[in-house]
Amino acid sequence: MKNWKELEASSFLDANARERALGMVEAGTFTEFLNPRDRFVSPHLPVLGTAVEFDDGTVTGVGLIGKHPVFIVSMEGKFIGGSIGEVNGGKMVNTLRLAEKAAVQIKAAHPDEYDARRPLVAISFETGGVRLHEANAGLLAHAEVMDAFQDCRHKVPIVAVVGSKVGCFGGMGFVAAATDVIVMSEEGRIGLTGPEVIEQEMGKEEFDASNKALVYRTTGGKQKYIMQDCNYLVEDKISDFYDVLAKVADLSMQQIEEMRRIGSLKLVQEQMDLVKLVGEMQPKDSMDLWKYYGNESPEALPEMSTAEFLKVVKRRVRK
Amino acid sequence: MALTTLEFEFKADAPKSIAKEWSHLGVTGSGDLEVLMERKDLGGKTKAKVVTPVVGFDAIWEKMINKFVVENNVGDVSIEINDDNATPIVVYMRLRQALAEANAKEGEQA
Amino acid sequence: MEFKGVKREWNTLKKDADARLKDAAPYVKEGKIVDAKDTVALLEAVIKPGDKVNIEGNNQKQADFLAKCLCQVDVKKIHDLHMVQSVLTLPEHLDVFEKGIAKKLDMSFSGPQAKRIAEFLQEGKLELGAIHTYLELYGRYFVDLTPRVALVVATKADRNGNLYTGFSTEDTPVIVEATKFRQGIVIAQVNEIVDELPRVDIPGDWVDFVIESPKPFYIEPLFTRDPALITDAQVLKGMMAIKGIYAEYGVKSLNHGIGFDTAAIELLLPTYGEELGLKGKICTNFILNPHPTLIPAIESGWVESIHSFGGELGMEDYVAARSDIFFVGPDGSMRSNRAFSQTAGHYAIDMFIGGTLQIDPYGNSSTATATRVAGFGGAPNMGCDAKGRRHSSDAWLKVGDEYGMKEEMYGNVRRGKRLVVQLAETFREKLAPGFVEELDAFALAKNAKLPIEPVMIYGDDLTHIITEEGIAYLHKCRSMEERTAAIRGIAGFTEVGMKADPKMTKHLRETGVIKTATDLGIDINRANRSMLAAKNVHDLVEWSGGLYNPPAKFRNW
Repeated sequence: MKNWKELEASSFLDANARERALGMVEAGTFTEFLNPRDRFVSPHLPVLGTAVEFDDGTVTGVGLIGKHPVFIVSMEGKFIGGSIGEVNGGKMVNTLRLAEKAAVQIKAAHPDEYDARRPLVAISFETGGVRLHEANAGLLAHAEVMDAFQDCRHKVPIVAVVGSKVGCFGGMGFVAAATDVIVMSEEGRIGLTGPEVIEQEMGKEEFDASNKALVYRTTGGKQKYIMQDCNYLVEDKISDFYDVLAKVADLSMQQIEEMRRIGSLKLVQEQMDLVKLVGEMQPKDSMDLWKYYGNESPEALPEMSTAEFLKVVKRRVRK
Repeated sequence: MALTTLEFEFKADAPKSIAKEWSHLGVTGSGDLEVLMERKDLGGKTKAKVVTPVVGFDAIWEKMINKFVVENNVGDVSIEINDDNATPIVVYMRLRQALAEANAKEGEQA
Repeated sequence: MEFKGVKREWNTLKKDADARLKDAAPYVKEGKIVDAKDTVALLEAVIKPGDKVNIEGNNQKQADFLAKCLCQVDVKKIHDLHMVQSVLTLPEHLDVFEKGIAKKLDMSFSGPQAKRIAEFLQEGKLELGAIHTYLELYGRYFVDLTPRVALVVATKADRNGNLYTGFSTEDTPVIVEATKFRQGIVIAQVNEIVDELPRVDIPGDWVDFVIESPKPFYIEPLFTRDPALITDAQVLKGMMAIKGIYAEYGVKSLNHGIGFDTAAIELLLPTYGEELGLKGKICTNFILNPHPTLIPAIESGWVESIHSFGGELGMEDYVAARSDIFFVGPDGSMRSNRAFSQTAGHYAIDMFIGGTLQIDPYGNSSTATATRVAGFGGAPNMGCDAKGRRHSSDAWLKVGDEYGMKEEMYGNVRRGKRLVVQLAETFREKLAPGFVEELDAFALAKNAKLPIEPVMIYGDDLTHIITEEGIAYLHKCRSMEERTAAIRGIAGFTEVGMKADPKMTKHLRETGVIKTATDLGIDINRANRSMLAAKNVHDLVEWSGGLYNPPAKFRNW
C-alpha cells in the first residue's frame, strides 16, 4: 500500500476503493468500519456460486479533515461492478446514520464550535446500482439511503464524489443526484441507464455505446459541469478531491443548500425549464447544448485539460 | 454452483511469521483475488483457506500455495483468499505482494 | 534434336480481358469511374465462372463495399469462383460460399470467420486450398494463384484511375501488380474521387475501374491497446523480457506482435529500460504498425526507425510529424506496405516476440483450436529462423553461438540465429492451460482434413519462452530431451509442467537454461502498473503533444 503522500499524488481513477477512502481524509486518520478482517461477506453470493469479498465491495469508515469528522463510503467497481447488495448497502446506510448521530453529539458537546467540527459525508460512487443477485435487499438499501439523506439535510453535508472507472449508474444515479454537493473528474460519469442498455433498447443509431467519446460527453464530468449537474470539476488526482472536500467542510449549511439541484419547488421548476428547453431545441448531441450556453467551439472542450477547460468554459446559468 | 471452500496446511523448513498482526491486499475482481494474512500461533505451520467459484483446481491451489510458503519460509500465518478466477500468475504475484505488505513498516511503501 | 513448337495463340489472356472490358463499357460514366449503383452489373460483366478472384482486405482495411456487391451477383452467371485473399474478416467473405458464388479458397488468416470456415468445410460448401503465410500467398500470386479479377480498396482516386492508398497502403501494390501484369482486371473502391491526389500509390493504367463507395471503407484500429487495461502480470512478464532477453542479447531490430504483453514492454522502455541504461542499446529499429503505445518510447528517443505493414487509425498526424522515424512520402503521409514489411520481418530483424494459445513439450506453438480454421497471417514469417539470412548482428550471432545443437546441425561453420520468443502464461483467462501435451492443431487437422497440423511457430525455430515461472532459453538445449525438460520447468502446474523433474529443473537453472524472475534480479513487488510510462490513452495523447487522435472507442473524455 502506498503511503498517504503517494496516495494523494495518485490517480483517483486508478486507485481502489480503500486507497480512495484513505486519501479522502487526512493522513493516518482513517478508521474503517467492518474492515476485511471482520469478514462481513454477502450471505447470498456463495449460494449462487459468485465470488465474495471481505468488505462486500464497499469500504466504510471515518477520518478527519481539520476538526471535521469525515464519514466515508467508497465503492469498489472491480467487485461485481460495484453493485449494491444487502451487506454493503447496510454499511452505507449505517455510515450515514452514524454521521447524523455524530452531528447531534458534537452539537451537544461543542455548541460554540459546531461549524468547525460539523461532520461531512463523502460517498465515492463506483456502481451500476442494484446487485442483481440480491436485488430486493439492494433496492431497500437505495431507499434507506435516500431516507438518511433527508434526515441529514440541513445538518450534515453529503458530498457525492464521482471519479471512478465504472461511474455512477442505475439506482445510484438517482442517489447521487439527491446529495447536496457533487464533485467529479472528467473521467467520472453519472447517468441512470448505462450506455449499453440504451443501445440495446433504442438501437445503435440512437446511442452507440462503443463510441466512448459520445458516452463521455453525454454522461461525463465536463458535460455535468456545464449543465450544473455537478458543482466541482477537478483533475483526476486524489489530492484534488481531498481539497474540494476540505473546502466544502468549511462552507455554511446555507451555501451547501444552494448547491443542491433538486429538493425544493424552485429547483423542480428549474429542472422543468430544462426539460422544456430540451424539448424545444431537440439537441442531437450534448455539444448542441454546450453551444447553446455560449461555448463557441464545443468540439474543442473534450480535448482540453481540466485546468484549461475551467478557464474557458461557459456553464448554464442558474437562476 | 455454490462456492468451493478449500482448506490446507503447510510447513516450511525455516518458518517465519509476518511483522504486522494482520494485513490485507487486493480486490476480488474478475481474474483477481484478495488476500488476508494474520499472525497466528500455529506451531510454525501456515493455514490457508481459499474461497473460489472455480471447480477442479483444488490440487493446483494446494501446490501453488505450498510453493509460496516453502519458497518464502512462511509460518505461523493464516492466509485467507477470496478468489474470482485468478490465473496462477496473478496468484503468484498477489501472494508475494501480500507478504511484502504484511512485513512493511506502517506507512511505508511495500 | 527436333524442336516442336506449340501452335497456339499467345495473347488469349489479353483478348479475354479486352472482351470483358468491352462488356463492362456501358457502366463506365467518365474516365474509369463507375457509379456505386452499377457495381453489381459491373462485376457480372467482368467476372466469369471459375475465376480466381481477390477481395482486398487484411486484418485492417477492407474492400467492404465490393465484397457486399459480390454477394449480390446472379449465381447463375457467376459461380464456382476461387477466392485468393489474405484475410477473411467480413461475413460477406463467407456469404459468397454460402450462396455458391465461390467454391474454393486460398487464404492466410480469418479472424471472426474461422468457425464458419470450419463448418463450411465439413458441409462441403468450401474447398480449402491451403492456409498460407502472407508472404507465401503473395508469392503464389505470381505463380499459380494469380487473380483474374482483383477487388481492391484505396483512400482516394482520380478519374484516370490513379490511386492514393497512403497511410493504409497495406496489400494493394502486390495484389494490383500480380493481377494487372498477367492481364487481369482491377476494380478499386475508394472513399473519394478527387481532381488531384496527394500522391500516386498505384498508377492509373494498372486500374480498370474506380467506384466511390457509399461509405468510407471499414478499418479496424487493431493495434491499439489501452494502457489502462494492462495488468500487473503483463508488467512482470515485460520486465522479465526486457532484462532477460532484450538486454541479454542487445536486441536492436525487432517486431512486436499485437497484444497487451508487448504493449506493456513498449511502455516499460522509458521507465524500466531507462533505469537499466538500455537506451540506444535495444529497440532502435522496429517492424510494426504505428502502435500508439510506442509513442512514449519514440518521444523519449529510443527509436530510430519504424516500417509498417499498415496504418493505425488515429496515428496519421503523429506519424506524419515524425518523418525521421516512419516511412513518409513526399506528400507528407506515411506509406505502409505489408509485402515489404513482411520481407523485413523475415530477413532483416533480430527478434520476433509475440503470444500464443498453446505450447507443446517440443516447443511447437499454435493459436489453432479444434473448431476454428484461422491461420496465422504473418506470424510464421517472422516467428522463424530465416535460413536465407546472410548479414550478421550481435544479437543474431550471440544466439547462434549459444545454440546447443550447433555442432550436430552446423558443423564448424559460424552461424547466427533469430530470436523467436513466446510470451505465455501457464494458465490463461478462464484457466485454459498455455501448455498442453498435444496441440489442438492436431484435432483441427483431423476435423478439417488438413494435410499438416496448423502450427504457428515450429519448436525448432523457437528460442525463448517467458512465463511467470521463468524464461526458458531453449536454443541452449543440447537435445530434444533437454528442450522438453526446459519447457516443463517453466510450465507451472499445467499437465506439461507437472511432469517436470525438480532435479532436472534445478540443473537447468544452474546452467542458465532456465532463469526465474529472482534469478534475473527482478523484484516482483515492483511489477505493477506504476512502472508504465503511460497509464491510459489520455497519457498517450499527452506524450504525442496532441498529435495522436484516438478513435472514439478509446476515449474516456
